[in-house]
Amino acid sequence: MSQVKEPKKRKMSLERRHNLTGWAFLTPATLMIAVMSFWPMIQAFILSLQTGKANNLKFGDPLANYVRMFRDNVFMASLGNTFLYLIIQVPIMLILALILASMLNNKDLRCKGLFRTAIFLPCATSLVSYAIIFRSLFGVDGFINTVLINLGILNTGYNFLGHATSAKIVIIIALVWRWTGYNMVFYLSGLQNIEYSVYEAAKIDGASPMQTFFKITVPLLKPTILLTAIMSTNGTLQLFDESLNLTKGGPANATITMSHYIYNMSFKYVPTFGYAAAMSFLIFILVAILAFVQMKVGDKRD
Amino acid sequence: MKRKILSALLCVAMTATMLAGCGNKADDSTNDANQETTDDAAGDDATAGDDAAEGDDAAAGDDAAAGGDKLTVWCWDPAFNIFSMEEAGKVYQADHPDFNVEVTETPWEDVQTKLTTAATSGDLSTLPDIILMQDNAFQKNVISYPDAFIDLTDSGIDFAQFGEAKTAYSVVEGKNYGVPFDNGAVIAAYRTDILEQAGMKIEDFTDITWDEYLEKGKTVLEKTGKPLLSCQAGESDVIMMMMQSCGASLFDDEGNPALVGNAALKKVMETYAALKEAGVLVEVNDWDQYISTMTTETVAGTINGCWIMASIKTAEDQSGKWAITNMPSLVGVDNATNYSNNGGSSWAITANCQNVELAKDFLKSTFAGSVELYENIISCGALATYLPAGDSDVYAKGDDFFGGDAVSAKIVEFAGKTPSNNTGVFYYEARDAVASAMQNIVGGASVDDELQLAQETIESQMQ
Repeated sequence: MSQVKEPKKRKMSLERRHNLTGWAFLTPATLMIAVMSFWPMIQAFILSLQTGKANNLKFGDPLANYVRMFRDNVFMASLGNTFLYLIIQVPIMLILALILASMLNNKDLRCKGLFRTAIFLPCATSLVSYAIIFRSLFGVDGFINTVLINLGILNTGYNFLGHATSAKIVIIIALVWRWTGYNMVFYLSGLQNIEYSVYEAAKIDGASPMQTFFKITVPLLKPTILLTAIMSTNGTLQLFDESLNLTKGGPANATITMSHYIYNMSFKYVPTFGYAAAMSFLIFILVAILAFVQMKVGDKRD
Repeated sequence: MKRKILSALLCVAMTATMLAGCGNKADDSTNDANQETTDDAAGDDATAGDDAAEGDDAAAGDDAAAGGDKLTVWCWDPAFNIFSMEEAGKVYQADHPDFNVEVTETPWEDVQTKLTTAATSGDLSTLPDIILMQDNAFQKNVISYPDAFIDLTDSGIDFAQFGEAKTAYSVVEGKNYGVPFDNGAVIAAYRTDILEQAGMKIEDFTDITWDEYLEKGKTVLEKTGKPLLSCQAGESDVIMMMMQSCGASLFDDEGNPALVGNAALKKVMETYAALKEAGVLVEVNDWDQYISTMTTETVAGTINGCWIMASIKTAEDQSGKWAITNMPSLVGVDNATNYSNNGGSSWAITANCQNVELAKDFLKSTFAGSVELYENIISCGALATYLPAGDSDVYAKGDDFFGGDAVSAKIVEFAGKTPSNNTGVFYYEARDAVASAMQNIVGGASVDDELQLAQETIESQMQ
């Protein structure tokens, strides 16, 4: 009996050894993620069910915080602002990045490296410093106003950040400037996976540049476009630095984002961590829903 | 081959870091041992090490390692409060040679964030011994985290020697938690040369009302093209100064928001909107732009806490062209005065302080007991709220930048006439809500509707 079993046993132990090796490699990372990410998430969820100020948190009506946020006009304003940025800024940025990427992918273009670096460079600037630079650019006596006055378009400086619509536009411009290059790099790397011969074949068949772009580049880049769309959505919903440093959420909460309001609720005002945690969970849920929708819409591989 | 070398190097690097990581503990213990011996030696030398010498050995060793004769402090302005704290350290050193103070430059926003984090996590060990706290945030922080601060009521500090309105900021439920530091008495500073072009003098702006200010401002604007006042959009400094000038608050005595039906607030909002509409007041977006409106001569004056003088003085070429007087008063509001307060801060001892007696004694004999210190720090514009310092000769000296006027004495006088106000715990919530309302009113919305909305916002945030 034992003789028959032995080879089987050995095989099992080999398989097992492989499995164990695999788990051994996985364990540190898994443990780290669980301890550093999932455990705080669970704690944040528990926190989001508590109400009260500062350290006097207590469990009451578990949904109190979640109901409260829909009655909070500042939070609703921040939700509206964030979605406005999302709906306007993300498509503009992604389309621009796609166009730039396909232009810079041209084999005959000179100084490709220079252009690519120039467009990617904004990404290397710190979020805070670029926000502050944009703030001074668009100041009443800032660069933009000086140029407009010297060109005779304006008589006196226009306070771009002092008016709701122009302040929102400035934030969108800033975001596009900062993140287009970042997304372009993803597209460029995606484009490297498309065989050049496909384009040659299209050229021989008499396809126009527009046709090649829409019929070849875009469909073949779909997975990358999906990735960038999800990442940008995620990033926009968590927008914080621009709101805090560029406009300080003003004028009259016209540009405040959800994360900025959460920060105010936790640190600037009398801390209300339960409520702040509930609001961040709403962002989490929104990100999950939007990513799910985008995956369903964008991914037609099956 | 290359790859092999690379992987070998990586392995070495990894083991090295791991060893270093694990080795910390051993290092720590040796460090501790070293420290204990040095501290013991120090304790023998210095008779002042009273706290460390007492108690059981191990605990005393730890205490000494953390406290000793050193106090750690957080404050934010190198030219102002950090400088003052270091000067205070020198003053105390004269009697306590082993004492030293270690200041870490920490912007106020960071102080607040770190304090909130430490206090809510229950681990106060990250805090320094002493922090400088904005007066406006004092009630909020002490009421939210009563265990994070040391009660100074029985510390021997004579709080009666400070301005009453100023001390009130750091008193919670009858207990003193802070030693008042700088003065935020409001001054109105004007460019006399620009006023002259409009045919006016500084006397024309002394003891005036906001209505007169508006009319005179229009004249100045017409003749020189310069507004009289600039301020930051979205910040409610000017609004809060106007409010305090008549002793009014955004909260009632029970701490409930009182925006709706607040006659003083309504008048303030209308006054501000009128100034903005006439172009006498110009809004800019951030602090740097605000300062540059003065240094680049875009405006003919400003109204702010007296600490603004330090910024005005940075434009050395404007020396002698500035003059200081009191601010305008509100019209048709009870108890309206020409005096107010903006900003200012107080020192607080945190519960993490290992040597509370030393910290108390230090504050008592410097910021609450040394006229000499206040004479030393007047050069940076740190005007005392410590009343005995106001009698010092240094305060009576004229300042050439302000046309030889004895501005310090003037400001101390203003401070004495400033009405006290009730900041309430939810000061920052109210400030932001009022600033939002103001921006909408300037944009054409109705005052009553906006105040109603602001009140609802504050009530919702107070939950």
